[in-house]
Amino acid sequence: MLKGLFNIVVKEVKELVRDPKILLGMIIVPLIMFPLMGFAIQTSMEAVEETMGKLALGIMDQDHQSGVENLTAFLNALDVPTVIIEKPDLATAITYVAQSNLTGLIVVPPGFSQNLTETRKARLTVYTVFRGGGIAESSSSSVISSLLQTFEASLVTQKVSQAIPDDDPSVVLDPIEMSEQSIVGGIGVNVRPDVFFGVMMSQSTGMPIGIMMLLIFSMQLAATSVASEKEEKTLETLLTMPVSRFTILAGKLTGSILVAVVGAIAYIVGFSFYTSSLTGFMPNAGVDLAALGLAPTPLSLILLGVSLFLSLLSALALAISISIFAEDVRGAQALVGPLSIILVFPMIFTMFTNIYTLPLPLMILLLAIPFTHPMLAANAAFSGNYLTTLLGIAYVAGFTVIVLYIAARMFGTEKILTTKLKLRRFRLRRSN
Amino acid sequence: MDPRIAIEVKNLGKVFGDIRALDEFQLQIRTGEIYGLIGPNGAGKTTALRILATLLLPTSGTATVFGLNVVDEAAEVRKHLTYLPEEAGAYKNLSGHEYLEFMTKFTIRNPAERKEVVEAAAKISGLGDRLRDKVKAYSKGMKRRLLVARTLMTRPKLAILDEPTSGLDVLHSVHVRGLIKEYVQRHGVTVLLSSHNMLEVEYLCDRVALINQGRIVAEGSPSELKTRYNAPNLEEAFAKVVSVA
Repeated sequence: MLKGLFNIVVKEVKELVRDPKILLGMIIVPLIMFPLMGFAIQTSMEAVEETMGKLALGIMDQDHQSGVENLTAFLNALDVPTVIIEKPDLATAITYVAQSNLTGLIVVPPGFSQNLTETRKARLTVYTVFRGGGIAESSSSSVISSLLQTFEASLVTQKVSQAIPDDDPSVVLDPIEMSEQSIVGGIGVNVRPDVFFGVMMSQSTGMPIGIMMLLIFSMQLAATSVASEKEEKTLETLLTMPVSRFTILAGKLTGSILVAVVGAIAYIVGFSFYTSSLTGFMPNAGVDLAALGLAPTPLSLILLGVSLFLSLLSALALAISISIFAEDVRGAQALVGPLSIILVFPMIFTMFTNIYTLPLPLMILLLAIPFTHPMLAANAAFSGNYLTTLLGIAYVAGFTVIVLYIAARMFGTEKILTTKLKLRRFRLRRSN
Repeated sequence: MDPRIAIEVKNLGKVFGDIRALDEFQLQIRTGEIYGLIGPNGAGKTTALRILATLLLPTSGTATVFGLNVVDEAAEVRKHLTYLPEEAGAYKNLSGHEYLEFMTKFTIRNPAERKEVVEAAAKISGLGDRLRDKVKAYSKGMKRRLLVARTLMTRPKLAILDEPTSGLDVLHSVHVRGLIKEYVQRHGVTVLLSSHNMLEVEYLCDRVALINQGRIVAEGSPSELKTRYNAPNLEEAFAKVVSVA
């Protein structure tokens, strides 16, 4: 029945992969663009770290008492160099700091030390120098603030130990020690909830994005594959070959899937590099999901594969059915493009929420979109909820059969050639 | 089934919306002959060829190719014919050689035989080493020669050619006409072609049908038609027939 399929698949893959637009847009750009973005961010973050290492502060001492000496000694002990700015007024001091390599200026007003000694509010004014913008400079102000907060905490500890010499000041200031843990799958685990949530998010967000990209790539490829046959005037010849129309359709579906898989892999590899560039700077909690019994089981992966394959088939059949109405590649991509919305919609919801907790109409709407189900299956792979995945597979299978039937009907009749003629006549009528 | 009859069309009609493209169209083509359809734009030539090539379904009437019904036995019909559409293209990202290989694989499974056929097509096309280049680098004429070679290379029982020399310059047109004639004589292929070029039709065709408004208005050999309508060439014969009709 599918005699000639391999021949068509090979031709499809060659045609698609050799198309510079597809090769660039789907394979080369993700492989270059994302790593480049990651590299840029990584370099910026390194620049931030380097800037932090070079932090140096000017201090304008208008107090001339011991409080300033304590502050300077504290900062120096933390390897932050300080320079006493001896200028007649604030404006001159600011100009000097701006022209120097200093990160900021701390203005210590008269009475600062006395206020501290007499337990009154002591004020400091901090100026941070902005030279060219960027993350590094915005981080400078928060680093200066946190340095001063640490200095403040040391003063408080001093005061407490003077007032209650027999007690440990750290216990007085922080009398309760909390140990935050999580309950996962009915079992208590020694991982903080926020850390656990972060790890789960990083695992579960990648999958919906990957699935969405795979489906969008495939739909664009399938639409291109049919429309380019029309645009290049090769379709008529192909349809007169001694091969069944279903084989031609199957060949186009398979070729599109193969190239889309390569495109999605390129995207995922590039995107992973990009995200690892970001997460490399986040504290590693060392949470092993597999050790917590939250890694996908082989069965859940098989179910995810089935759900994904069926969705892929239905997306491709849908794209082919729609692209039949287009006269050329641009027209087909314009017709298929809006379908991306019904992919982005479930992706966002499955990434950020449990869709079963949404208002009923919204939940029904999302579940009615067949492409929601592989994304739910990806999440269910971590939770082990097989029933949801199985019901989703049944729904997607039904949808796939219907859409494939429509695509096969469109491909099997003269509509694939005459639809264009009808559109042309419609345009002529409109222009008259 | 009469083996002497390659194509038999009876009362064929085709309607697109409110346009009647073919109306009571009748045709009988003998095995091994070159038969030409001549007519103005929109006369129904391409529609008739597309129905016989199993691309369109007739609205009424019947058409058979070597005794096989083009609607009910379309898959079998396709085994016996090749079709060259007027505005045909080839896959731009394949080389000419890859394109010929791809097309041959549908009909010939034996690799050695396939190689022979592709080599024959290379000779027919006259493209030589340019067959290694991608089709997108071809001129219009080169592409047409490739497509004519593709249509003839497998020695089909029936070749349907819609404007075979469309877009070719004079020299290439002469070359293509020559190879169609030579190929048919050598391999006994039946050819049904349509053309606007009366010289081409006169040179190639054993018999010709003049079509106007979806109907055949006159049929015969080029010399018969010229004699019947007392015209020095087919062009004038056609003008006389259409004005009478």
